Amino acid sequence: MSTIEEIVQGKGKFVDDIVLPGMQHMSVIRSNYSRGKILGISGGYTFKDFPAYMSSVGEGASEGEKNMREPVLADKYVNYIGEPVAAVLGKNRYEAEDLSEKVEIEIEPLTPMMDPEKSIDAPPVYPYMKSNIYKKVTLGRDFRTDGFEVEIEGHFNNRRVATNPIEPRGIVAAYEDNQLTVWISTQSVHSIKEGLSEVLSMPEDNIRVIQADTGGAFGLKGGLYSEYALAAFLAKKTGKPVKWIESRREHLMASRPGRGTSAFVKLYANRSGRILGMKGKVIVDSGAYSGGSGEFAARFVGMQMTGPYKIENAYVEAYPVFTNKVVQGPYRGAGRPEAHFFIERMIDMLADKLKMDPVDVRLINTVNSEFKSPLGMDVPPAKEFLEEAISKLNYRKLYKEKPGFAFFVLVPAFQPGETARIKIENNEVKVWLGGNTHGQRHDIFVKTLVNEGLGINRDLVHLQLGDTSMLKSGIGSWGSRSAMVGGMAVHEACKKIKQAFIAKNGIYSADALLKEGADEFVHWRGEGTMNSLGCNLVTCEVNDRGQVKVKECAAYYDVGRALSPEVVRGQVSGGMAQGIGQTLYEEIMYSDDGQLLTASIADAGVPIASQLPEYKVLLSNTRSNLATGAKGVGESPTIGVPIALSRAIENVTGVKITETPIRQELLLRSMKH
Amino acid sequence: MSVNKIKVTVNNKVFEEEIDSRLLLVDFIRENLGLTGTHVGCDTTNCGACTVLLDGKPVKSCTVFALQANGKSITTIEGLSHGKEMHPIQKAFLDKNGLQCGYCTAGMIMIAHWLIRKNPEATRDEIREAISGNLCRCTGYDSIVDSIQEASQNMIPEEEEDITAGQRGR
Repeated sequence: MSTIEEIVQGKGKFVDDIVLPGMQHMSVIRSNYSRGKILGISGGYTFKDFPAYMSSVGEGASEGEKNMREPVLADKYVNYIGEPVAAVLGKNRYEAEDLSEKVEIEIEPLTPMMDPEKSIDAPPVYPYMKSNIYKKVTLGRDFRTDGFEVEIEGHFNNRRVATNPIEPRGIVAAYEDNQLTVWISTQSVHSIKEGLSEVLSMPEDNIRVIQADTGGAFGLKGGLYSEYALAAFLAKKTGKPVKWIESRREHLMASRPGRGTSAFVKLYANRSGRILGMKGKVIVDSGAYSGGSGEFAARFVGMQMTGPYKIENAYVEAYPVFTNKVVQGPYRGAGRPEAHFFIERMIDMLADKLKMDPVDVRLINTVNSEFKSPLGMDVPPAKEFLEEAISKLNYRKLYKEKPGFAFFVLVPAFQPGETARIKIENNEVKVWLGGNTHGQRHDIFVKTLVNEGLGINRDLVHLQLGDTSMLKSGIGSWGSRSAMVGGMAVHEACKKIKQAFIAKNGIYSADALLKEGADEFVHWRGEGTMNSLGCNLVTCEVNDRGQVKVKECAAYYDVGRALSPEVVRGQVSGGMAQGIGQTLYEEIMYSDDGQLLTASIADAGVPIASQLPEYKVLLSNTRSNLATGAKGVGESPTIGVPIALSRAIENVTGVKITETPIRQELLLRSMKH
Repeated sequence: MSVNKIKVTVNNKVFEEEIDSRLLLVDFIRENLGLTGTHVGCDTTNCGACTVLLDGKPVKSCTVFALQANGKSITTIEGLSHGKEMHPIQKAFLDKNGLQCGYCTAGMIMIAHWLIRKNPEATRDEIREAISGNLCRCTGYDSIVDSIQEASQNMIPEEEEDITAGQRGR
């Protein structure tokens, strides 16, 4: 792993910086239609050369039925714009792109299904299916709704958002002596290895996956993609290394975006604001094939839909549905922001209906004991934290400025724990983690924990990039988990090393250990859950052109013990920017006939510095019951900020907010009247 | 393919190369010269990861032809440090957590370099405006603004004159 000092001097080693002798560049020819029948392809490598189907690995991926799986290269039909149809190799990127121009694909366009809510009742995209619902999920128990004093309903939508790390996807693959080696920008080398093994029908032992410096990921780089399998296949077939680097346009059309989830929600309450029941119907825009996170997202969104509130009755039906779009995947938060947007918007609506302060409705519905919600979520004691947050975030004092407020449970991906290896040799400590750092600075907590566990100077401790040949198994870096579960794996490995040293030598000495050396692998397993709480407060101004300026953007989060306060602050600030982006600017948009309208990173709405505020980050440093004291943090801001900002805009403009992004024209139109 | 000869000064070193006329400046810098600190993020002049200084002015090298740099002087991220001694902007980015994944950083530092020379007393809002052609997806920008503010306090004007002189190809 390049050190931060190297990166700041331009000496990092990202995947596009890797050059191998004889290396060829791959260019992918893609479908220009969202749905169509392939009449003919001339030139390039096609499905006939590589008749393989994608495997589903990584965060929240589910396989689905066999005939729902995505072919690596389209076979007979194309089902989303940007779907890979053929590939060519050239000696450099320019030549590969020239060659791709010579490949001719004839496609007869068919009417695409672009609207997930219409998809539920529409004729199936796939003739062998009864409907476009690929798996209906129900949570909780249905209940009678007569006799409640107050009933409100809402319909909400979080549109699709591209992950847009500044470094796009990329891979270099080389094949020699039955051995495939790939260098890749990733969150999980082990997921990539497992996926490549399945798609290429190669034993895992013959595959080595090495992480390059990874320039951001946000959920994008946890799983396998067609292009990775293709590059590996072509390296094997031609015997020469193959490099593929995604263009931004390819990213926006053919890499997995997140969100894309809507819901119909009903709340039942009494006149004093106590919520007695919640019913929801969730629709997840899963895209054209299984293998993404649609099925997982449906269940995961459903589970969180009572938020931190004690609501006795709850029932959710969730539908992952097929559309003619690229398969949906995780984007920072991955189901958490959606679920909380739905319930929190309903809480604000209930407050409006009852003419109460929305924060008081939240207080009435929280309790000071832990409980499991009827939908299956473990909710930590919430009332005291909420009271603290209201006070620390100055909600009452800022009331005149019409703040929006959010309260949520962060459900991190605690299970099934994580792996770590610590190797002490030549007076230096090398550490590998099963979850691969991609900008969150895992090296800092690793130094802290090795220093605490073994008394070794931080400067001697070096986190290594992911490498399947150096660490026998691993899960991945996602779901607000790394400091928590990766940290525990490091803690346990230190403990084992120390115990073994004492058993052998009697008394412990860090200096002697550094001379003697050690090598320990640990898979620390998380049992149960490690959920935590967070609140956000946002105020804003809206000008007469419908442009929103965020003023106060504050967070109060329970992150457990912050192993590195500066890293936590960075995580929260960056996440808040993404929360604002989703709320105001970001969207992957198609025309009704399925053409992609957001084909540059500017169209897709990634926020710029002049659009964003200064952040206020407050932490409740309450240790968790883990030995390290850590809890999750990474996804909290993407949950809380859209909720608080939506409400702030509603407060200032009077326009009812039901979806993100909040389009400027909506605010403009409503303000003119 | 039409081949052309160009002569450019990169980080105070003169290079004479035969290049394809359609070669982009960023590919010339990365592939021909092997200076991979300059990155490509969006291919469309939006993200600024490819920002370099061309005769002292920032350009997005993903949409400039290498030919357009003929006879001119280029400074990339690799040209900022003096041997092992990091440039004050680089130090400030380390000090103020101005980077997380580091992919946008070279572009941010180059634009900061231009800004500080032009306006050594830039306010936070002016800094935000100046870096608004450079995207960062990790930090939310506030720590980048902190870094640039700190750097502007630590940069010695005379020291910067040397780099500018080199860029003018004197």
